[in-house]
Amino acid sequence: MNEMNKMDALFVGAGPASLAGAIRLKQLLNGKNSNASVVVIEKAAKLGQHNLSGALFEADVLDELLPGWKERKEVFVTKMLANSVEKDEMIFLFGQDKAARLPESLVPSYMHHRGNLIISASELVNWLGGIARQLGVEIYTGFAAQNIVTGNGAVRGVKLGDKGLDKEGNKMSNYLPGDVLEAGVTVFGEGSLGLRAGEVIKEFGLDKGRNPPAYAIGVKEIIRLPEKNNFGPNRVIHTFGFPNSKLTPDVYGGGTLYSMGPNLVAVAIILGLDWRYSDLNPQLELQIFKSHRLIKELLQGGEVIAYGAKTLPEGGYYSMPEVVANGAMLIGDSAGLTNPSKLKGLHYAMKSGMLAAETIARAIEGQDFSRETLRTYQEELAKSFIGQDLRAARNYRQVFAAAGRAGIYLGAPLSLVQQWLPGKVGLKPDYEGMRKVRLNRKSTGMLDRLTEVSLSGTSHREDEPSHITFADPQECARCGEKFGCHPCEYFCPAEVYDFQDDKLVLSPSNCVHCQTCRVKCPLQVIRWNIPEGGDGPRYKMM
Amino acid sequence: MNYIVLVKQVPDIKNIPNEAWDWERGTLKRAFLDNVCNELDKQALAFAIRMKEQRGGKVIALTMGPPFADEVLVYAMCVGADAGVLLTDRKLGGADTAATAYPLGQAIRKIKEEIFNGDQNYIIFSGMQSVDGDTAQVPAQVAEELGIAHIAYATSFSFADKELRITRITRRGSQTVAPLSYPCMVTVTDWTHPLNASFIRTRWAQSQKLYTWSAADVKAEEARVGLAGSRTTVFRIFPPRDVSKRKCIMESDASKLAQMIKETYASKLAATEEAKEEVTYHLPEGKTPSYQGEVWVYAEQEGKEVNAACLELLGKAVELARQLKEKVGAVLVGDGVSGIAKDLIAYGADKVYLAEHPRLREFLPVPYAKAVSEMVGKYLPQIILFSATPLGRELAPRVAYRSNSGLTADCTSLDIMDFKRGSQELFAILRQTRPALGGNIMASIITQHSRVQMATVRPGVMRALKPDYHRTGEIVEYSANVTDADLGVRIISSELRPLTSEIKDAAAIVCGGAGCKTREGFERYIRPLAESMGEFLGTEVMVGGSRAAVEAGFIERSHQIGQTGQTVKPRIYVGVGVSGAVQHLTGMQNSDIIVIINKDPNAPIFRVCDFGIVGNMEDVVPRLAQAFSAERVEVAA
Repeated sequence: MNEMNKMDALFVGAGPASLAGAIRLKQLLNGKNSNASVVVIEKAAKLGQHNLSGALFEADVLDELLPGWKERKEVFVTKMLANSVEKDEMIFLFGQDKAARLPESLVPSYMHHRGNLIISASELVNWLGGIARQLGVEIYTGFAAQNIVTGNGAVRGVKLGDKGLDKEGNKMSNYLPGDVLEAGVTVFGEGSLGLRAGEVIKEFGLDKGRNPPAYAIGVKEIIRLPEKNNFGPNRVIHTFGFPNSKLTPDVYGGGTLYSMGPNLVAVAIILGLDWRYSDLNPQLELQIFKSHRLIKELLQGGEVIAYGAKTLPEGGYYSMPEVVANGAMLIGDSAGLTNPSKLKGLHYAMKSGMLAAETIARAIEGQDFSRETLRTYQEELAKSFIGQDLRAARNYRQVFAAAGRAGIYLGAPLSLVQQWLPGKVGLKPDYEGMRKVRLNRKSTGMLDRLTEVSLSGTSHREDEPSHITFADPQECARCGEKFGCHPCEYFCPAEVYDFQDDKLVLSPSNCVHCQTCRVKCPLQVIRWNIPEGGDGPRYKMM
Repeated sequence: MNYIVLVKQVPDIKNIPNEAWDWERGTLKRAFLDNVCNELDKQALAFAIRMKEQRGGKVIALTMGPPFADEVLVYAMCVGADAGVLLTDRKLGGADTAATAYPLGQAIRKIKEEIFNGDQNYIIFSGMQSVDGDTAQVPAQVAEELGIAHIAYATSFSFADKELRITRITRRGSQTVAPLSYPCMVTVTDWTHPLNASFIRTRWAQSQKLYTWSAADVKAEEARVGLAGSRTTVFRIFPPRDVSKRKCIMESDASKLAQMIKETYASKLAATEEAKEEVTYHLPEGKTPSYQGEVWVYAEQEGKEVNAACLELLGKAVELARQLKEKVGAVLVGDGVSGIAKDLIAYGADKVYLAEHPRLREFLPVPYAKAVSEMVGKYLPQIILFSATPLGRELAPRVAYRSNSGLTADCTSLDIMDFKRGSQELFAILRQTRPALGGNIMASIITQHSRVQMATVRPGVMRALKPDYHRTGEIVEYSANVTDADLGVRIISSELRPLTSEIKDAAAIVCGGAGCKTREGFERYIRPLAESMGEFLGTEVMVGGSRAAVEAGFIERSHQIGQTGQTVKPRIYVGVGVSGAVQHLTGMQNSDIIVIINKDPNAPIFRVCDFGIVGNMEDVVPRLAQAFSAERVEVAA
């Protein structure tokens, strides 16, 4: 078993970006009769369990990756093809019960979705994983990367997390130190807020001169409707306004309702994480959103069967880091590749993985994994439709931020012209937005957070060391005073943080790994580390 | 020394996704559950791998299941097994325990020949039971198929010189034994943390090829496998109890509440889990019963005393025998135990079948199974009931296997019925009802292709009759033919130790939540309430905590009730200051009686309770405890 920790290419995180990349790479290697090893590691216990997206999918990327994919017989393909968008609506919600449908002529073209396919990211990942394995990609789930390993100015691989530690960090009888994986090139496709990608960015100064990244949180439910329902298949609705209009026009975001089949709907709200309200609870906002007369009518008779939350990078073009270093590449959300105007990233993620793969194939051939060689990927990325789209939307999120309290009333019109704004509009880190202002939302009597947590299927070994720690626990008291409450009690979509009589009761086992706390902790005290491999949510169709 | 570990792929009943429930039928849709390796089999693997680390040899993981069950073999290899054998064949599907044990036994014989090169020196390990079937029958029946000793409830091992010693839990404490010959079967109960898989080992495991064998490969006779070879069949699945049907009776008077709790508790004790009216079976005119013979009870003894659970069985046997117009027999095995016979007769036995022998002084599965099955073969009863005690769970599977009879484990309801399915018509047979899938569904089962209908019965479910020492009965002595070779193991030492009960098996629980506020509050209110309730109901009451209570340090994690703690099914659960997050509810909602004390009338836990009282713990708990004490004194007087 001597060489079992060595590989040619290592993808960290089995999402759409890594799997598309690994598939492409193996296709190229197989074409050259090379048996170079391509390994993907994933912290979830099973493929797809940590993947969540809207998701509207621009499937053209599949024509390139898997020609003839439409003829494939897998259930996923049939389902995906049956779920193409036929009805595409944009609705402005005024207050609790009024709504106006925007005529299609007024909807900017980048927000048209007809012909897109409505899919689940978890299911996409499972499908891609199967294809990858058939090609000879090795996929190992239940392994979390604890650190990057560097040497001679290059990334050499990763060290995996230890297993079998108790709450205090002592070794239990089943303690096993994490192996060190050595790879020619390590590709980071960990998704939004990837911890190891962050380490690479920091170590190699890849974000020099860039805007700080900006993020949004998406909170999502899958709702099962009765056979006869008011929503119907092949339909997507995007909303803006309520619950954020009127009272709070300055929270950037909106709602989405996508039919996932004849009687399944994915309902989500996406909120820019630069909000200022200390007691904003995104899970509650979703409930309030669902209580709007129109939405309630559409979802009548529905039952929530799954829940999840994730962050998405929204900084766009100017927040994107350099995407290569010696021995390392960043792809997908880890490289900040989401288009903030379309809120779509799946096809970017996959395409970026494929572009990276093409560069890696050449690098393997020449056994040269230096930054200079890998830079081809960065150039190709800029030349591709990804680069073009992102440049076009380069100041999108910033204008919303700049519009401030006037929020969507000013931000929306501005966003249409943002690409003509001269140069780069700056951006502050999201946590700086927090103020001592409260929303004082009333509970809707709909689903509470802990019930939703159980619908995410999340689980962590209760006696493992807490993966959430505090740089300085004393600061929490100061935070409480400064903001009139503990914002983490509210912004966490999984109720990990609970203060009883000002004493923190932490429930790390509730965590759904969205890492909103890292972005939103106003004093930046919360440290989110990777829990033991295999722990976390168990999404099936998120 | 080599090792074979039996591993089983089971549905993940710790994480049941919402969509897996069929709310209309109240059952679980198996296809929606994830598949995982049975938790105790992971323990068995750890046991074998640790032993191999000390003594060398090969560890082979063996499973029988559909092709995708290969996942558990890969898991086994990831944590240290050297190879995996998948026994898979459509013909093997739908098997009960006997039809599973037989082909597994055949596979083990083939492993011995082909992988161990004929070497007899191997140990078979398995988890004590699986979480889905929870019968604990397969390992015992594999041992019976191979004719080898079985060391159950193993918790640790050691080597004295070269001799392997295994420590196991017994009813009265623990025991250290040494196998007298190999191979032997060792079933493991909670022992250690399951092993983790390293990346390197995992990568190696995934590159290995498994042995994949069919029924023909292991030379299994078709008549003895799959559905055809099964001696029990499930004919009905239904929900255990509709949680939404709980009537939440709110009561503000603590003494009235105490009274109601007591009445309901008493009536639950009497009733079986499936609500049913008092029916008396009548054989349809002109029909012959499908089984003939007496109704037997295995009388588990502890030296001079009979086990209480066995007296409950006699109560049930009397009821069944009356309907069948047959006599009740009690089987008593041991050495110097004849004094118990009069008790058995007093509690309802018409005959006591007594087998005494010096080699039967201590319980060992092989000689006991031999003695009991010889008696079964000679006197041919139609029904034999065992208590689902640790001893019953070791003994009954072997007796059933030896007697070519079906066995249903852990029944909570038994009655006589006629059965018709297609052209099959059976009369006056035993309907055996038991919980399955971790208590999430109930299954009704009948015996088929068998001479005797056998069942083990969950202790505490049936009701014993009032003893009548004027009753007379017949004592039938049987001279059992047991030899030293039958013993299989040498008992090195036995240690008596008070039984440490686990909360998951508790019959009554008081559970404290975050509402207790401090550890002092927990100590001051929860424990005394448990004590007074215990005396009031005449049963041991254990103390549990919600996750919040455990996190706050009020009580140890081993007492945590809920999704990430223990799932409990006591006859009575009293929750104090527990709000009722769904994570907690999944751990306790199958309790028979749920009583809730909470100051918040809107706490979600009130939705699943039978009785509730709104108020501060500081006020309500002492009043309730007092009511319990007052009531007890009254009864005594």
